[in-house]
Amino acid sequence: MRRLPLPSQFDRIIITGGVVAGLALAPLLLVLLVLLAVDEITAPEFIFWLVAAVVVGGALGTVLLPNIVYAALSLVATLLGVAGVYLLLGSEFLALAQVLIYGGGVVILLLFGLMLTNATDDPVVSDGSQKPFAAMVGLLLAGVIVAAAYDATWGVNEVAASSLRAFGEQLFGDYMVPFIIIAVLLDIALTGAYVNARRERATAGDEETSP
Amino acid sequence: MGMEQVWLLPAIPAALFVVVALFGRLIPRQGDWLVILGMAATLVIGAVVILDFQSFVVGGVFEPGGENHYAFAWAAVGDALAIDFSTHVDAITVVMITVVTVVTLMVMVYSVGYMHGEARYGWYFALLSFFTAAMLLLVVSGNLLQLYLAWEGVGLASYLLIGFYWERQSAAEAAKKAFITTRVGDVGLLIGIILLWRASGTFDIQEIIALAQAGGFDETYLTVAMLFLFAGAAGKSAQFPLHVWLPDAMEGPTPVSALIHAATMVVAGVYLVARMLPVFDTVLVARDVVLYVGLVTALLAATMGLVSNDIKRVLAYSTVSQLGFMFVALGAGSVTAAMFHLFTHAFFKSLLFLGSGSVIHATGRQHVEYLGGLWRKMPVTGWTFLVGGLALAGIAPLAGFWSKDEILYESLAHGSTAVFVTLAATAALTALYTTRLVVLTFFGQPRDQAAYEHAHESPRIMTGPLLVLAVLAAVAGVVAFDGVGELLGFAGGIGYVVFTVKGHAFAFHPDIAATATVSALLAIAVGLVYWWGTAERAARARAWAPEIHRLLVNRYYLDDLYQATIDRVVLGAAGVVAWVDDRIVNRAGVDGGAQGIGYAGLRLKFLQTGRIPNYALAMALGIITLALVAFGTS
Amino acid sequence: MIPLENFLLLSAALFAIGFYGVLARRSAILILMSVELMLAAVSINLVAFAAYLDADGLTGMIFAIFVITVAAAEVGLALGIVLRLYRERRTANVDAADELKW
Repeated sequence: MRRLPLPSQFDRIIITGGVVAGLALAPLLLVLLVLLAVDEITAPEFIFWLVAAVVVGGALGTVLLPNIVYAALSLVATLLGVAGVYLLLGSEFLALAQVLIYGGGVVILLLFGLMLTNATDDPVVSDGSQKPFAAMVGLLLAGVIVAAAYDATWGVNEVAASSLRAFGEQLFGDYMVPFIIIAVLLDIALTGAYVNARRERATAGDEETSP
Repeated sequence: MGMEQVWLLPAIPAALFVVVALFGRLIPRQGDWLVILGMAATLVIGAVVILDFQSFVVGGVFEPGGENHYAFAWAAVGDALAIDFSTHVDAITVVMITVVTVVTLMVMVYSVGYMHGEARYGWYFALLSFFTAAMLLLVVSGNLLQLYLAWEGVGLASYLLIGFYWERQSAAEAAKKAFITTRVGDVGLLIGIILLWRASGTFDIQEIIALAQAGGFDETYLTVAMLFLFAGAAGKSAQFPLHVWLPDAMEGPTPVSALIHAATMVVAGVYLVARMLPVFDTVLVARDVVLYVGLVTALLAATMGLVSNDIKRVLAYSTVSQLGFMFVALGAGSVTAAMFHLFTHAFFKSLLFLGSGSVIHATGRQHVEYLGGLWRKMPVTGWTFLVGGLALAGIAPLAGFWSKDEILYESLAHGSTAVFVTLAATAALTALYTTRLVVLTFFGQPRDQAAYEHAHESPRIMTGPLLVLAVLAAVAGVVAFDGVGELLGFAGGIGYVVFTVKGHAFAFHPDIAATATVSALLAIAVGLVYWWGTAERAARARAWAPEIHRLLVNRYYLDDLYQATIDRVVLGAAGVVAWVDDRIVNRAGVDGGAQGIGYAGLRLKFLQTGRIPNYALAMALGIITLALVAFGTS
Repeated sequence: MIPLENFLLLSAALFAIGFYGVLARRSAILILMSVELMLAAVSINLVAFAAYLDADGLTGMIFAIFVITVAAAEVGLALGIVLRLYRERRTANVDAADELKW
């Protein structure tokens, strides 16, 4: 029975993961470089495909890897890749928020969840029995969305880097009420999480009968 | 105010029905005065309508100029079907309004005395009001669907009033019999209406008449439709072979018999055929059917009336017979004669019924075995009954004489000699059974001393209407003469105007009148000889031909035939249907379906695993399907 | 310039992969991670549409901010539920919670 890796082992995992990812990305990088060289793609597209490879690869790792810790770490890769996508789309603030909140907060929270539940025993999980159906539905869904995306005609504008000042003015001006509501929501979620997760005050009868 | 407000005639009694039926207990005297006042108002409005109608009569011919037909939209089904609620006033309507309002008012006043102290007194008046509303709606209807509505309305009122004493088994059964028998005809009427609508696309009577006269119908089709229509008329007007319900309908209170089963509702069939006669004129086969059915009915009913011992039943058979006379007139193509007889008959027959009611009220008996010798005890009833009887027998110058003369003339002119002879013989029979009834009731020795001792003249509230109706029964016939009409202020003569549909003039025929009078007097003489005193000769006549007597008493075994038919055919079919319903519909269909679904549920419930990922998968499949559908349709 | 369709394609792939994860995984924590992938895909879509189709390009970004915030709240709350489940059943497998049936 394999135990969950200790924090000192994380370095090794990350280095191994980086090497594996680098080796996987290398052929793609090569192909993209050649295409760039013969002017088949532009520089932004070159970067896009690299980032997209990171995002998709990380996502596949998240849902396919049997080891929970590896899955969580490849989720980090994906979320950082998404931050890169935001940068490509010209919203630096969003990329920053993504890295801070996801890469920092959310993933740490998830890892805490792992420690508190599976940590003691087996970090390797088996998937549900409906895996083949899930794959089929996933492919169908992707097909439908892609077909819809390519079916429509989009009147496309020039992408311009947005100003952070305008963004702030809009968020705290037009969208102030939603902002406040979101704040309340966070508050409620925090309270709810606490109420749900806390150990109930032990009473004499409960402690013995509960499993 | 005039023909445009004719809708008020049914509206007032209808409103009073609602008021008295719902709040009768809160009103002093349970609201009878309210109903009677409303009826008086209706009578006045009816008179105004008739005067307005008269003002449009030019040179003896009614020229409506579009002033007699009012309609508003009632219901529409897309563009395919538009039904109006319409009123139509013409000569026929005018006669019906007169008859219905006058007789109803008389009967209502009479009922105050007759029904005094009865349970459900207020409900009785509410029902009378409801009946009047339906009957007036029937006679002012401008289209067939509305007419059918009113037709069923009067049928319902008739059912409820025949079964007014529903605690009595026989009354409940008679009500059922009347309703079901007339229903047989009503289904025919409905089919006829649908057939006419299918071919013409309209329910409006005048449009249908115009179309028929223009030859817009296939002749065979129209014949079938009109025969169905006549089936409805025969059911409502108790014509052979649907006449069996009317004698039994005498279970109801006697004023109801006078109103519904003598003067008004039972003539609805005559009214309907008269209204549609221009259509019948285009299909003479159907018109001949009307004539012969009327003739057979008149004769059969008269013979049955000859042997019945119940006063009201004799009068009921007489009514059936007289309705047969009216149908003969219609079959001969004369609206004039039929409506004229309808007019006079309403007065003298309701008079006779109210008189018999007075006798029943006084003695508690309605069987002639317990009556006799009442003349001295009840002079007013006796005299008025005699007037009514003579009018029925057709003795000049009472009302029945003129109208019967007209019908006999029409039967000879447009029928055949055989028809005329049969009808004249029936008229003589009429005089015979009338004589028998009068003699057995009012003369000779009292056959039940207790009933005789108890007898007394009825209160004035009952004799008053009797006197009014007696006067009308005596003189109603003369309105047909031009001079009388002019005296009353009707240009061209009331008879000419009212009883005449363009082209038919009223006339007096001395030869026929003489024949009819002589035969009636002879019949009366025979009746006096046979039944005066101890009725010994009548008993001997019965003994001489017992088979005929038994045939008549058993009403030609028609009721037994119907009963046997119902027992064998209907109940047999009902058994089959019940078996199918129980085994196939109920057990296999309903129970089986329920059990099948229950079993399926028992098995299929395992599809619910309780695992949320399974549910999410199913949901995803649903969403994808929806997306694909949206994709495919855009 | 990168065509808009590229971003939509990426977003679709990410969403489908996340959905597969939700359906196929058994551990509640991993399902939560897959939900995060789907939310990220939606955010990419919002921002891409904002950048390409909206004149000032801000509304979509603000909504993405909201998505990120709600996602944070969702993770917090969901982890509370997972911990509760773990305490009741000694496992974080969603198969253990199968009482929602007949």
